[in-house]
Amino acid sequence: MSQLHKLINKAEEFSAYESDQKHTWCSGCGNFGILNALKRSLVLENIKPQETLLCFDVGCNSNASDKIKAYTIHGLHGRVASLASGAAIANTKQKVIAMAGDGATFSEGINHLVHAVRNDYPITFIVHNNNNYGLTIGQASSTTKHDFAMNGSPDGVIPEPLNTLQFVLSFNPSFVARSFSGDIEHMTKTIQMALNHRGFAYVEIMQACPTFNKATPQEWYWDKIFDIQTIIGYDKTDIWQARKIVDSLDKDLAVGVIYEKSKPNFVEQLKNREGLGSELIDEVKSTSITGLLQEFR
Amino acid sequence: MSANRTVLKIAGENGMGLSSVGEMVQKALKKNGFNIRSEREFPSTIKGGKACNIINFSSSKIYGLSKTIDIAIGLDREGVKDCLETLKPGGILIHGFDRWNKSIKNLPQIVESKKLQVFLLPARDIALENGGSVIMVNTVLLGFLWKVLGLDIDSLRQQIKVQFQDKSSIINVNITCAQAGFEYNFPSKTPSLSVSSNKLDSTKQILIDGNTSLALGAIQAGVRAYYAYPMSPSTSILVYLAKVSHQTKMLVKQAEDEITAAQMALGSMHMGTRALVATSGGGFDLMTETVSLSGMIETPLVITIVQRPGPATGLPTWTAQSDLDLAIYSAHGEFCRIVLACSDATSSFENIQHALNLSEKYQIPVILLSEATIGMGYETTPEFTDNTIPIERGIITATEEIDALQPSDRYQITSTGVSKRWLPGKSKSTYFANGDEHWEEGEITEDEQEAGSMIKKRLIKTKTILDNLPEPEIFGDPMEADISFIGWGSSKGPMLDSIEILAAKNIKANYLHFNYILPLKTAKLIEFCKQNQNVSTIEGNFNGQLSNLIESKTNLKFPQRLLKWNGRPFYVEDIVDFVREKVNKT
Repeated sequence: MSQLHKLINKAEEFSAYESDQKHTWCSGCGNFGILNALKRSLVLENIKPQETLLCFDVGCNSNASDKIKAYTIHGLHGRVASLASGAAIANTKQKVIAMAGDGATFSEGINHLVHAVRNDYPITFIVHNNNNYGLTIGQASSTTKHDFAMNGSPDGVIPEPLNTLQFVLSFNPSFVARSFSGDIEHMTKTIQMALNHRGFAYVEIMQACPTFNKATPQEWYWDKIFDIQTIIGYDKTDIWQARKIVDSLDKDLAVGVIYEKSKPNFVEQLKNREGLGSELIDEVKSTSITGLLQEFR
Repeated sequence: MSANRTVLKIAGENGMGLSSVGEMVQKALKKNGFNIRSEREFPSTIKGGKACNIINFSSSKIYGLSKTIDIAIGLDREGVKDCLETLKPGGILIHGFDRWNKSIKNLPQIVESKKLQVFLLPARDIALENGGSVIMVNTVLLGFLWKVLGLDIDSLRQQIKVQFQDKSSIINVNITCAQAGFEYNFPSKTPSLSVSSNKLDSTKQILIDGNTSLALGAIQAGVRAYYAYPMSPSTSILVYLAKVSHQTKMLVKQAEDEITAAQMALGSMHMGTRALVATSGGGFDLMTETVSLSGMIETPLVITIVQRPGPATGLPTWTAQSDLDLAIYSAHGEFCRIVLACSDATSSFENIQHALNLSEKYQIPVILLSEATIGMGYETTPEFTDNTIPIERGIITATEEIDALQPSDRYQITSTGVSKRWLPGKSKSTYFANGDEHWEEGEITEDEQEAGSMIKKRLIKTKTILDNLPEPEIFGDPMEADISFIGWGSSKGPMLDSIEILAAKNIKANYLHFNYILPLKTAKLIEFCKQNQNVSTIEGNFNGQLSNLIESKTNLKFPQRLLKWNGRPFYVEDIVDFVREKVNKT
């Protein structure tokens, strides 16, 4: 059954995520497609709005915080990986998804990304990479193409763009995937796989920004993307193969799950909580300290 | 000055096992029935620089520290030099540094001018003769100290057994060394200090530092996640909570920086557990944007600042009360917060519990101030008991109430400013916790009416809180004192001691102490200032941060301020000397 057919059977579940709030994105913005794919993947995974905590950073993408009817937080710029991780740790039964742009992920909050990946916190992290700061009207980000003139850098951006997937793959992640904002079906499938990953699932969406990113419009991506599954014998558990496949930023942009390994996540590795079975949110109660006082007597 | 106590200093070079010697002495003194208040001084180094333990002990209750050193042990050259400088005239110095004559300048003059009683033990020889190593010089000196203090050597023996329980092979030799030190006789008279103990029932007392007390309060209050980045003088909270985490099952996570620690704590609180972070001023600087977010989305957040002097790296291992302004005025935007301050170990245990309750009840950030002198200093205090402060969370949990919830209940405009809070996942009615200005469901709004109403709703909590917050506490006779003080934090300890010391000099002093500082309660304060004519403030900072706050909120003026900002805590002598200047009665 096609994705759409499955969704038709879940129209009611889908509509539960619908919000009446007015959208504030430019026409042609990749965020519409990403938001749609996010709703689709949640519905197809049978996750109800009250079973989620969707954490948003700051930027165009995160203005979706009230455009999807679920438990959401709209936090601070650059900090969403930490905020979402802290939330997820407290209740692993609630599905925690973090959304952030390339500015938040690779500039303001780049340290949080590094350590969230290393710690393998149990969240899905979706980067909306449109190669610029849209909401502040078109400044350069770490992923803006070299020499391209942006607001604030009229003579062109001096550094070369960051290779985001190489960067993430260097931290020994447990899940790395990429998709494209123009392909809702592919994004949906990719996010679904991320939702089923037990640790930190890094999903990067290459996002068209028709207003400010003239360097790589919609067609530019369509021209360059290919499904990683078309590579015969591609082994997504081989990190060196993964690092090689994402080497280029200008051609042959692989989409799909690029790297994945199964290992216990951060919470599952906490030795002092082994076999406990309860969540931190269920454990808040007056706790006797009498036994601990012995060494002070 | 007679402060009804003996002050013992143990000094040496940093990193030479000083803190374990200090710990052993304090525990053994406690077992002898003494009350203890001690401080540790050490530089921000791993090895090198002078360090010491200053142990005040008494058979009656003491609250603060004195700097009149009666007796000192110098463990090495650095320690002996330090003791010579800081011992009171006529004080006793015990040491085993046999080359001291050659290596300390002006030695005879110092000893003569201060009339010090110096006892140089051949401690190295004694240790080696008894099968010990050079490091056991410390134990020999402690044995001799026990004789000088007239204490039962068995109490030291027992403590040695406890101290070295993980290194059983060295227990016996340490006991032998202690015994040999105890039995050592000088040809001249062995000095003696009469420190007869009342034999208090030490089993009902614990000997504990403020940071550990705060950590225990957090455990008691159901904190299930602790996030921190190491920073003196708060680090021992992290270390202790991690150490006992297999008993408590608490999640203890050292984050990559303070921003992360605060964000993770806010995330955990939002999801519905109780989380905590602690840091010092510099780390709190990085947390302030998260404080602002907590104020906006009305998710509880409790941050502890164990203060040290700044600015910048400042004096990492020393003490201050200089971050009150930081706690009150930090973070952008206008929102409601509570600031409270610990004054000793017991209040650290209690205040963290109050802080968590207040933060959840009013859905606001709460900042709990402590100080290096509280966090790292030890004191004897009545054993903490379970269930004295019930947990108050203010969250909706009853099924019928949950079922009746509407999304717009979450940030509904109310007369108290407090709306219903329920945990993500608990109701079908979802809400947006929005860092952008929002309306009642949390949906973004830029409408002038809605924005104005929502900002006001969050801020009127201050009035609600003021109506419910306890007034400051007065110590001593509340009226017509010869001199009165107003203060906060660790000043309370030496103030309580000083009231007694001054009473013995026929000077009537009293003290008004702020445990809850913001929002500022003023009724009792104004009454206090009416009933007392000679009112000073006492604060461990240069500007008089609380004094200025009170002046800005009332018509009161405090031209007379006892301020200290050099990294040292207030000693009873600081207060008594100040009073001597201000009160003409002696």
